[in-house]
Amino acid sequence: MFENRAVGLALTLPAALFAAALFILPVGILLSEAFQGENGFSVQAYIDFFSSGRNQTVFWRTLKLAAFVAGVSAVIGYAAAFCIVSLPPTSRGRMFGLVTLPLMISPVARTYAWLVILGRTGFVNAILVDIGIMDTPARILFTETAVFIGLLQLFLPLMIISLVSAMENMPRDAIPAARILGANWFQVFTRVILPLTREGLVIGGTLVFTGSMTAYITPAILGGSKVLMLETLLYQRVTVANDFVAASVIAMILIVMAFSANLLLKRIATARKTRA
Amino acid sequence: MSDFLNISDLTLAYGRTVAVEKMNLAIAKGELVALLGPSGCGKTTTMRAIAGLLTPVAGSITIDGRDVTRLAPAKREVGLMFQSYALFPHLTLYDNVAFGLRLRRDPDLDAKVRAGLETVGLAKFATRMPADLSGGQQQRVALARSLVMQPKVLLLDEPLSNLDARLRLEMRVELQRVQQETGVTMVFVTHDQSEAMGLADRIVLMRGGAIEQIATPEEIYSAPRTTFAADFLGFETILPIEGENRSMAWRPSAVVLGEGPHEGTVRGVAFAGERREYVVESAIGMVKVDMPASDTVYRIGQPVRFDLPKDRAVIVENS
Ligand SMILES: Nc1ncnc2c1ncn2[C@@H]1O[C@H](COP(=O)(O)OP(=O)(O)O)[C@@H](O)[C@H]1O
Ligand SMILES: [Mg+2]
Repeated sequence: MFENRAVGLALTLPAALFAAALFILPVGILLSEAFQGENGFSVQAYIDFFSSGRNQTVFWRTLKLAAFVAGVSAVIGYAAAFCIVSLPPTSRGRMFGLVTLPLMISPVARTYAWLVILGRTGFVNAILVDIGIMDTPARILFTETAVFIGLLQLFLPLMIISLVSAMENMPRDAIPAARILGANWFQVFTRVILPLTREGLVIGGTLVFTGSMTAYITPAILGGSKVLMLETLLYQRVTVANDFVAASVIAMILIVMAFSANLLLKRIATARKTRA
Repeated sequence: MSDFLNISDLTLAYGRTVAVEKMNLAIAKGELVALLGPSGCGKTTTMRAIAGLLTPVAGSITIDGRDVTRLAPAKREVGLMFQSYALFPHLTLYDNVAFGLRLRRDPDLDAKVRAGLETVGLAKFATRMPADLSGGQQQRVALARSLVMQPKVLLLDEPLSNLDARLRLEMRVELQRVQQETGVTMVFVTHDQSEAMGLADRIVLMRGGAIEQIATPEEIYSAPRTTFAADFLGFETILPIEGENRSMAWRPSAVVLGEGPHEGTVRGVAFAGERREYVVESAIGMVKVDMPASDTVYRIGQPVRFDLPKDRAVIVENS
């Protein structure tokens, strides 16, 4: 873009310095905390962290819930995106607006709405009891299910948006062409839609997975201290126990998981592409 | 066997908008039929219904004696070449052409794909991706992809309109050759009357979701049924006959410039090789005239007399 590379570099320098000073440096200090043993570098803090049964539970739960949310939002996302792109342009715009609407509402408000819906006297329980599936209201709040529902609702729009824009970039008649050539809907999906929207899936998947893993408000309100996730555990370690070493370990784990998820998804996407 | 492909009382709609109403059409085996009509008259919609991409509101479609009205596209043995070609951008040419055969688990897949690419002259590009090809080449891949499936009916949506003049001629020759060699029944869509004339055994002229006239190119050229047909087929000058629900129509070549009862002013001249094309402004409107290029030359702004000979007019119904 710039004729002179040096000019370009010089122009990015202020932003780079800003990022370094205010973000990379503090994160670096925080992360390095956990590597300081009695005599220099040590990974003892990590060994300590993972040797606790409760921490292991929280780690696997976070991984599991984030992966589930990403997976389920991909399934729902494809169905929703397909419906949206099949609509005529005007109603497509309207539906797309409806999908993005929740993104403009504070996650705190959205999550509190779930408290009302999922609570003992909320309408989910009212319906379950009314139609006789249950005798007494079930406890939905403060379970993994509640956290899962909250996270799914929170991040599903991101998946839908990624998949809609990926589908809009597919050649217009690719799907009907495949059907005429004999593909059933499953084959249309695996042989045409999936390969042509893989990048959107990777972007959406990464956003939803890392978002779910690092969300704080939703697990805090819907899971509480009964269903701790890494993020709520981190907060608890700092505020309750003043344990900055454990906090540092958790922060590192979250960063590593986010990057691994992105790399893994990209890997899957390109591997399939070159094979095809 | 005059109705290999039979469409009866077919009504098609998108939601509440009716796009085609009560269409009746019978096409013989091996026939090459053109669906001709202005943009938005329902040509593509009709093709999509024959292919099974659109479920009719009413009416039926039979192919080779089998009612396919409610059948999935895959089961109809129909090929459709889309106006946009609709190649799969993530697959090589080979895999594009092999797509349908693979789903069918065809035992002769490789031989058929190679023969298909050979037919359209693209065998040496088998491993290329569609994006590496020109528009004309992409279209030939789309043609090969449909042909290797050996459909009973091959549908082509605007097969010539995205091509430049030279490629258009090439594709026209190609389609005629395919027709000769395979004897497949073909229906193609066009909004260009000269394309329809040049290629089709029979022309189905459509207007606003209904059929206006079905005729051979010769018939429709010399005897359009209505003013709409006449206008669409190049009868540029149309005058209503007083007291009747009919009109007289002239092609530019039927109008005589230089003498006659009408007078006007030359507003445009275009040299077209053998002929010279004039636009003359007169009391009856703008009149288009074709004269031999060797004739007297008239200049823009020059007053001229002209004649609309009754014996060279066709009589058409007002539409
Ligand atoms: N997907 C669609 N949704 C709603 N209306 C459509 C759709 N496709 C076409 N139409 C309408 O149906 C009519 C016929 O369209 P089409 O068959 O594409 O015409 P043609 O191919 O002759 O140009 C037009 O009025 C067009 O606006
Ligand atoms: Mg069309």
